[in-house]
Amino acid sequence: MSARPGALQGPFRHPVSRYDQSSAMWLLAPMMFVLLAVAVFPVLYSFWVSLFDLKLTRPQRVPFVWFANYAHVLQDALFWSSVWRTTLFTLMSVSAIMLIALLMALLLNEEFRGRRFLSAMLLVPWAIPYVANGLMWKWIYDSGYGALNGLLFQLDFIDKYMVWLGDSDKTLALIANAFVWKEAPLATILLIVGLKSIPADLYAAARVDGANLWQRFFHITLPALRPAFMLVMIYETMMAIRHFDLFFILTEGGPAEASHVLAWDVYVETFRRLAFGTGSALAYLMALVTFLLAFWMIRALGQRL
Amino acid sequence: MSAGWSNLGRRLLLLVASALFLVYVLAPVAWLVSSSFQSEAEITAKPPHWVPRHPTLENFAAIFKAEQEKITYETRRQGDPATGGFIPSTAKNLLPSMGNSFIVALAVVVLNLLVSVPAAYAMAKIRFIGRSGSIYFMLTTRVIPDIALVVPFFLFIHKLGLLDSLSSLVITYLAITVPFSVFILLSYFESLPDELDKAARIDGCSRLQTLLRVYLPLAAPSLVAVVLFTFLTSWNEFLLALMFTQTPASQTMPIIVASFASDFTISFSFINAAGVLAVVPPVALAVMFERYIVSGLTAGAVKG
Repeated sequence: MSARPGALQGPFRHPVSRYDQSSAMWLLAPMMFVLLAVAVFPVLYSFWVSLFDLKLTRPQRVPFVWFANYAHVLQDALFWSSVWRTTLFTLMSVSAIMLIALLMALLLNEEFRGRRFLSAMLLVPWAIPYVANGLMWKWIYDSGYGALNGLLFQLDFIDKYMVWLGDSDKTLALIANAFVWKEAPLATILLIVGLKSIPADLYAAARVDGANLWQRFFHITLPALRPAFMLVMIYETMMAIRHFDLFFILTEGGPAEASHVLAWDVYVETFRRLAFGTGSALAYLMALVTFLLAFWMIRALGQRL
Repeated sequence: MSAGWSNLGRRLLLLVASALFLVYVLAPVAWLVSSSFQSEAEITAKPPHWVPRHPTLENFAAIFKAEQEKITYETRRQGDPATGGFIPSTAKNLLPSMGNSFIVALAVVVLNLLVSVPAAYAMAKIRFIGRSGSIYFMLTTRVIPDIALVVPFFLFIHKLGLLDSLSSLVITYLAITVPFSVFILLSYFESLPDELDKAARIDGCSRLQTLLRVYLPLAAPSLVAVVLFTFLTSWNEFLLALMFTQTPASQTMPIIVASFASDFTISFSFINAAGVLAVVPPVALAVMFERYIVSGLTAGAVKG
């Protein structure tokens, strides 16, 4: 903002009054102070820390190492396998969230008795703390007495109880399932907004033209939902990439390294190995990816603002 | 005739879809609740008893009476000697930790409102230089992942000597809640007419008076949404609390519940009771205020 106060500014037809300018500054000041202090400064400081070889196990010697931490991280095989597992988890979660949320949104967009009850119940998974969600699924997946085993056994899908979370081929998908269950309601709410924005005349006109249900769905509903889908996809991708809680509660990165994702890697590096330098570098790389995604999101949505 | 059939078909389809919907959304929670009312002996039945045949309150009693009962190595297996599952001595920490969560959440709600309301009003209703810049700034802070804040926060809090105190949580939770609150309020204020602002100014109200007397009463629904979001986020937050708290004096509910979940020796029926207690307050709030939450989520997400 290089213009001097009082100059004409884009959308404003009148010069900005001095009183407006100063009162806005006062009203904004608390938020600016809080965000600078608890969000911006920490992020910058975190970058600074990532340039040091800071280990809490060795607090007296903290050499400045330039980008050695980043080099160390990028050469670490475990880092790349975590990137792969994070990608896999994100792909599985986000695609499942979109599918399930679409189905739920289509249902809740209909007018019928009981719809209000369903939309209230939709908030149950959303409101549950991740920790409680984690222990709930841990109990469902339990290899000894869990509900999943019990159900599949009663339905004759399996003839003996199986190991679920402890099976490294299944771990990631099972954690993703717990994540999807909790995240799908928010995605549903966002998709309903998209559905509500489709003008009813479009459907009426298509019906007059003889389009059947499927044609109406594929040619009107899905294209109109594109912006909402984009929003859900990018938001949930950001959430999935950074997700930590379920990995802590359900598997602690295990079995072996089957659920060792990026967020878990940051945690292990900083709080188990107490290597704050490399931990910061890792967190910074994660933040960078998230920022790029967010930038993309803001730009994609900017067209609709 | 054909219209009647298709109407019947539609109703049948909706019925089946609604049933599937409810099963998907509620069945896992129903199972959590059901098993929290089962004894350790019943919970280990194969196949499981979906509905408790001998419902018991012993798991909840263990939590609520934990303060009075001394749990030692000898007594902890008394609950159910057959399976060896036991009530942990840390059971007594659960209720105080819920108190901690409540205090933190309340403090975050109050501070959050004090900071967000004036900022959102200024960005929505006042013409000033730097307006769009401050909106973009706020949007950018919204996408900082919490895990990127963990290390710097830890170092600051360590330096300030605030480690293991509730205030460290209150400060850090502001970072993750303020941008979202500002956003919800901003889009709500924007939907209110500008003329109110002009009229109030002509009547001699200052900016602050205009905000407090004119807009704040009108913005009540979005305030409810902000209070709920902030409260739920703080109540549910796990990662930062895990890093910054060390003793029961400051540990919040998610930390204590997680410590139960990661202990293999604790009976699942007890863990599930703890889980139910953790779930009841946020779910009750969400279902009661469903309308506000949905409108808040919609406003807060559609634009950012």
